[in-house]
Amino acid sequence: MSQTVAAGPGASASAPASRRRSPFAVTLATAAFALVIVGFVASVGAFPESWNLGLADPIDRTRRWLINNQTSHWLYTVLLNPLTDLADAGIRQLEAILRWFPWYVYPVFCGLGLWRVRGRVAGALGLCGVVLIGMTDLWQQGFATLALMGVAVFLSLVAGIPLGIAAWRNDRFAGVLRPTLDAMQTMPGFVYLIPFVLLFGIGRVPALIATVIFALPPVVRLTDVGLRNVPGPMVEASEMFGATDRQTLRLVRIPAARPAILAGTNQTTMLAMSMVVIAAFIGSGGLGQDVLRAMRDIDVGEASEAGIAIVIMAIILDRFTRGIATLGERGRGPRTNAHAGGSLRAADTAAIRWIAAATALVALVGGIVGHNAFPEWLQWHYAPYINDITAWARDNLYDIGSSGIGTGPLSDFITVYMVTPLRELLSSGIPWPAMIGLGVLGGLLARGVTLGLGIGIALFLIGWLGMWELSMDTLAQTLVAVAVTLAIAVPLGIQASHSDRFQRLIDPVLDFLQTIPSFVLLVPVITLFHVGRIPGIIASLVYALPAAVHYTDLGLRRVPAEVHEAATSFGATRWQRLRRVELPLAAPELMVAVNQVIMLVLAMVVIAGLVGGGGLGLETVNALRRSDAVGRGFEAGIAIVLLAGILDRLTRGVADRLRPPAAA
Amino acid sequence: MPQSAQRIDTPNPSKQTVTRHTGAMGAAMEPIVTVSGLWKIFGKKPDAARELAAEGADREQIQAETGCLVAVRDVTFDVHAGETFVVMGLSGSGKSTLVRCVSRLIEPTFGHMEVCGTILADASDTALRELRRSKMAMVFQHFGLFPHRRVVDNVAYGLEVQGVARDERHERAREVLTTVGLDGWADHYPQQLSGGMQQRVGLARALAVEPEVLFFDEPFSALDPLIRRDMQDELVALQIELQRTIVFITHDFAEALRLADRIAIMRDGAFTQVGTPLEILTQPADDYVRAFTQDAPIAKVLPACSLMRPVGDVAVEESWPRTTETATLESALPFLLSKHRPVVVCNAEGDPLGLLHQDDVAAVLEQNLR
Repeated sequence: MSQTVAAGPGASASAPASRRRSPFAVTLATAAFALVIVGFVASVGAFPESWNLGLADPIDRTRRWLINNQTSHWLYTVLLNPLTDLADAGIRQLEAILRWFPWYVYPVFCGLGLWRVRGRVAGALGLCGVVLIGMTDLWQQGFATLALMGVAVFLSLVAGIPLGIAAWRNDRFAGVLRPTLDAMQTMPGFVYLIPFVLLFGIGRVPALIATVIFALPPVVRLTDVGLRNVPGPMVEASEMFGATDRQTLRLVRIPAARPAILAGTNQTTMLAMSMVVIAAFIGSGGLGQDVLRAMRDIDVGEASEAGIAIVIMAIILDRFTRGIATLGERGRGPRTNAHAGGSLRAADTAAIRWIAAATALVALVGGIVGHNAFPEWLQWHYAPYINDITAWARDNLYDIGSSGIGTGPLSDFITVYMVTPLRELLSSGIPWPAMIGLGVLGGLLARGVTLGLGIGIALFLIGWLGMWELSMDTLAQTLVAVAVTLAIAVPLGIQASHSDRFQRLIDPVLDFLQTIPSFVLLVPVITLFHVGRIPGIIASLVYALPAAVHYTDLGLRRVPAEVHEAATSFGATRWQRLRRVELPLAAPELMVAVNQVIMLVLAMVVIAGLVGGGGLGLETVNALRRSDAVGRGFEAGIAIVLLAGILDRLTRGVADRLRPPAAA
Repeated sequence: MPQSAQRIDTPNPSKQTVTRHTGAMGAAMEPIVTVSGLWKIFGKKPDAARELAAEGADREQIQAETGCLVAVRDVTFDVHAGETFVVMGLSGSGKSTLVRCVSRLIEPTFGHMEVCGTILADASDTALRELRRSKMAMVFQHFGLFPHRRVVDNVAYGLEVQGVARDERHERAREVLTTVGLDGWADHYPQQLSGGMQQRVGLARALAVEPEVLFFDEPFSALDPLIRRDMQDELVALQIELQRTIVFITHDFAEALRLADRIAIMRDGAFTQVGTPLEILTQPADDYVRAFTQDAPIAKVLPACSLMRPVGDVAVEESWPRTTETATLESALPFLLSKHRPVVVCNAEGDPLGLLHQDDVAAVLEQNLR
């Protein structure tokens, strides 16, 4: 990775602008360097507390004013309250419809649906999963979550697909929209909640709005990308037959972009799911609320029941939306594997139709008769067993036989030798001007003047907001978690790229981990690691692992086979080939992996404020818990966004630098 | 229109051209496609680029001075009804840009194009659409098929756009699929077919709208050599039956010889020579064209009919050997070598189309050896 700047005439010819050093860049670099020197000489330590922008007070005042005027001011009476009521009525209506159907409709239809899109085993598991939700007495909460989700996804799609079409049509609009979507996707979901709490207070409607906005980017982006990637000859062919623009859009472009749009719908649904759960913090109700309440009481059993219900819902929704995306493609694949996807036999299809029709009939009767609650005799709670396991784990795994081996000592080790020293180093070891200077230099090297200057300003703002030490705490946790994640994920990714069998083995596991909403991941982790900074780091590791393994694998697999063979033909060992050929060629992809890991870890570390993670996360959690802490939480939220922006741009800049020069 | 120094006018078709497969004189026909002084210049200073070109500057000089790329440079030609006009050039010569300008898939920078009597340059969007729906169709290099539509819906696309009812357009599509030898594949998706079959779908889709003019943009270059050969033979057979006006783009000189009534050799955006295969082979305009003629396995690819002269007043004798219009030159060689008499080229019904003379064939083969 040492050859960050490709040397040689080819490189300078392909990107002359970025390689040329402007006088301004030299000045900026000198200034940054001076800052570093001055900082260390003067040894000023952390950002001075007296320099404070003082944003918290006006925000708290605004919050108080908003609370006092919620019933009287025109902003609320004319605009916001009617909208709130409408949205709330929509959710309530959907919930009522969902409740109207008899309970057995859900397991049967989920089972049949999954049978149709994924096969018999998936169908059976789906049926059992839905029954399990009912057995643990989470039926009503499940409906609340599903109704909120349904309305949110509907609104996201209704807004997102036209936005994607508009972005495809109009390059200038796309130029504005894309960086906005980028910025939206770097923001941890948690942070979205704060402004809506400020404006609407606690409840389902701010949760809905935050969810819609959080879930919006993928469908917009993929609609745009899908339409842009429609092959030119297809469009030319359509035009050549005299199709109008509208005909080409309707008959060629949108159908050709359908897989991308559906993939976007799947991602949007999954984001909405994770957000609806996190939004329990601001009173979204439903299953998330149960997890949250149980976590506050450290009742792992209760939290597990609700958490598992959420995971079941998430997996079913994921497989459904993905199944719909691939269903249409079935039988259209290349000739060689035309029937590979179609595992379903005609007999299966017929059986599914019959059962569906029969259930629908029974359901109608049941709905009218009103026999629809989940039966009590079917109830069975496994929370006590989980609690037993938790207690056992605490007694026996935390420090196995007082030997210094176990989750407790591991957690101490990470704290004492990694997190604490790094935090000390970042927050006071490196003086704040030096830190800013280093940030500017990093930005300059990674991309150029704009990024260097941007990072400098962002870091100063973090200090000015009074969030320097908390941010450095969060940064330290993030960096440790990223290092640990990469240390585990990269070897796994390398192994997966070399062995198809290993890839097939870990793929379903990673796929499963990726479907779990971030918040729910904390439940098993606190079982093993108690509370504090370590559960957040461990949960981040689990949360970010799938993406890291996936991108490493992908990057290495993209290395062309000829390059591979060429290296082998010169007698390179496997290790030489990996180090000298594959890793350098996959470097940009690996950097994308680093970028993804950082963003996922940061999002998780922030949520871990709930389980004693400290740092910026704790301030945000407090803001959502107590109305008098909103101002401080708002500041912390801005700091999180700035931190996320810095890390994202920096890693993406490096990734771009690593890309070999494009062909002329 | 400023006259460029390099401009080469279309040879007078009445001189020697016999439109292949029909035996009729080209001069007797109306031009269906007329292109004159066509330029396509990519960049911001097209006027300056054109002036430089008129002074004789080459592509690199123009690009260095104006930053503009002259993709098509003052091209003029006519294509007559039933004629197959092949534009042959290597990659980057501007041939694909040319066919896109002629069909106005991209806008030409300067020039005049006329298709079936409609002047394309000032045609409104509606008029252009109407022309495309009724008079022209194109077959693309990478097929340009719609992967989300079944084969039959691909073929029916042109009719669907015109608003033809479902049953009617499907019936027509299935007919055309039979013509190109794809009955039974109507309900498959294009990706499930082999490359050669996919291009048959592309061809069927173009034929379904019964166009007067067919544009082919390197339609067979993505196919395996054997399949390519089959498709070429099939196109020749179809053309004998359908008699469309064809503008065919290729980078394969042998393909050009096989298919063309007339060939235009294109280089750096301009035509360096336009003529019948016979003219190109016997009188190559410059070393560039000669290089192509020397590489071509002429006797194997050139159809006997491409070197034939009109029967005219000559009394065809019963004893003269005969050959078919699609047979290669090679197959006529034994007859030509044995006795001093012409070989009669006949159509499928056995009517004489023209005469193949020993001298002409000898001249072409000698040229090839040089």
